[in-house]
Amino acid sequence: MNRLTSATRSLLHILLIVVLVIFGGFPIYWMATTALSTNAELYNTGQVPWPQLSNLPAAAEELAKLPLLRWLTNTGIVAVGTTLLSLILGSLAGYGLSRFRFHGKGIIGFLLFMTQVVPEALILVPLYAMFISLGLLNSLTGLVLANVGFSLPVAAFIIKGAIDAVPYEIEESAAVDNCPRISVLTMIVLPIIAPSLAAAAVIAFFAGWNEYLFAATFLMDSSLWPASVGLASFIGQYETPLSAVMSSALIFSLPAVVFFLLIQRKIVAGITAGAVKG
Amino acid sequence: MAYSSQSAQPVAVRPTTGGRPAATARLRRLLPYAFMALPVIYLAVFMFWPLGRQIWLSFTRTRLANPNRSEFIGLRNYERLFDSPDFYSALYVTLVYSALAVVIGVAIGTVAALALNRPFPGRTLVRAILLFGWAVPNVAAALVWLWIFNERSGVLNSIVTSLGLERISWLTSTDMALSSVLLVTVWQVAPFVMLVMLAALQSVPQEVKEAARVDGADALNIFRAVTLPHVMPTLQLVSLLVAVWSIRRFDIIYLLTGGGPIGSTSTLIVKLRQVAFENHDLGLASAYGVIGLILALLVAAIHAAFNRRRQKGQS
Repeated sequence: MNRLTSATRSLLHILLIVVLVIFGGFPIYWMATTALSTNAELYNTGQVPWPQLSNLPAAAEELAKLPLLRWLTNTGIVAVGTTLLSLILGSLAGYGLSRFRFHGKGIIGFLLFMTQVVPEALILVPLYAMFISLGLLNSLTGLVLANVGFSLPVAAFIIKGAIDAVPYEIEESAAVDNCPRISVLTMIVLPIIAPSLAAAAVIAFFAGWNEYLFAATFLMDSSLWPASVGLASFIGQYETPLSAVMSSALIFSLPAVVFFLLIQRKIVAGITAGAVKG
Repeated sequence: MAYSSQSAQPVAVRPTTGGRPAATARLRRLLPYAFMALPVIYLAVFMFWPLGRQIWLSFTRTRLANPNRSEFIGLRNYERLFDSPDFYSALYVTLVYSALAVVIGVAIGTVAALALNRPFPGRTLVRAILLFGWAVPNVAAALVWLWIFNERSGVLNSIVTSLGLERISWLTSTDMALSSVLLVTVWQVAPFVMLVMLAALQSVPQEVKEAARVDGADALNIFRAVTLPHVMPTLQLVSLLVAVWSIRRFDIIYLLTGGGPIGSTSTLIVKLRQVAFENHDLGLASAYGVIGLILALLVAAIHAAFNRRRQKGQS
């Protein structure tokens, strides 16, 4: 085993990478290929295993019949709301946990970690009941409020980790000028940790973007559906051409893929501090 | 940490008038709570109150039609749970699914990280492609995998039939469904493991590896004696995360199979939703959820115990 020549080793290395690339990349490739196929090919004559760009106009026409834009708008609203609320509350908690010592700090840290263990499905029914009473059922606001419960602790962990690395002397110079502590946070500390703040924003944004269970349960009105629920409604129904389903899935995935690739290293840093995306 | 030790010192809130030091001292003590109040209240209302209520519901008879009215019945839901074969099936599925997701997902992810840890042309592109499964939203992943698994026209069965074999019911037979769901899970989880392990591997001190090489150690020995101990804590953390996520995972299982066929992919959490929204029995559904939560907590506690032992061993 350890007497392999370096040539064999390189070959095995390449082979391993090829297998991994096929396993990891094939579903996306297949999504694109299917998006550029007609239903006749897919169900009768057999799928052409490469993307047929000549089918693009027909595919675009089918795609235009779907309410994808409205779904994506709803998704955008939920994602932006989730991000803003998570960042505001997460900055307060992250700063508090990083810069102060106080009674109950250990418990609060533990409870923040606990939220990452709780299954969404476990608080689904009580939230549902609560939203009935508050009139928040069937509203995007309710959905945002539910999402933030999970993304706020993640934002808090990332922001706390980033503030821990900022030397306190930077704040002292501001304190001399009698600046209120909250302004120290917003005007001095947060700009310094902007890269981490951006990573926390991306994570919260796509937690809201991808979320399915709460949205599927709390929103009855199909005009309020985000894309996750709209796309899931294609499962088991055959009126919509599969090419249109796959192109919407591709469009829905694209922003998430691009941004997760951009901040991948930051997420690793966040992981070791707390726990992230599940 | 420089600040924590001096947080009792007057730093940020200075007495401007100089007349009321006692009052400012009190204000200063309250300052941390001013920062923590909003996030804590938020989580209390939208996370921990619902969680507490859900746990309480498991001791009541409550119907979905009227979720705000419940009747306390003690441990009756748990008695029903422990008498029901559905529960043992769901527990079994949860344990098998989570254990295999950890073992296979962590193994493949770690192998991928080792493969990417050696430089080669196109490494950045390969790394990006390998991360797809982790970055693609659950619903989109479910849609494409449902098509790949499609019994009549899916690509997997095209390959299978071209080899002269019988079509396989990837998601609709009790033999195959859990394996197929696991395949998708591994596709989603392994990239994440790879990402974290890659970061750990890159932090292995090169001098130590070099020294071992000079002393005549071969690659396998270096891996065992230098690399593995260094990445062990990360490996353990990532296993914990994958285990907890598998126990709480809902979307991908529900979208691929709905928990079927005949409960063969129904984990406790998938079952929780089914009992709540199809049988309208919130009490029993909550009991399923509580057992799921206990499992997840158990995993976290085991991880914490391991951590403590390692820290003791080091000191």
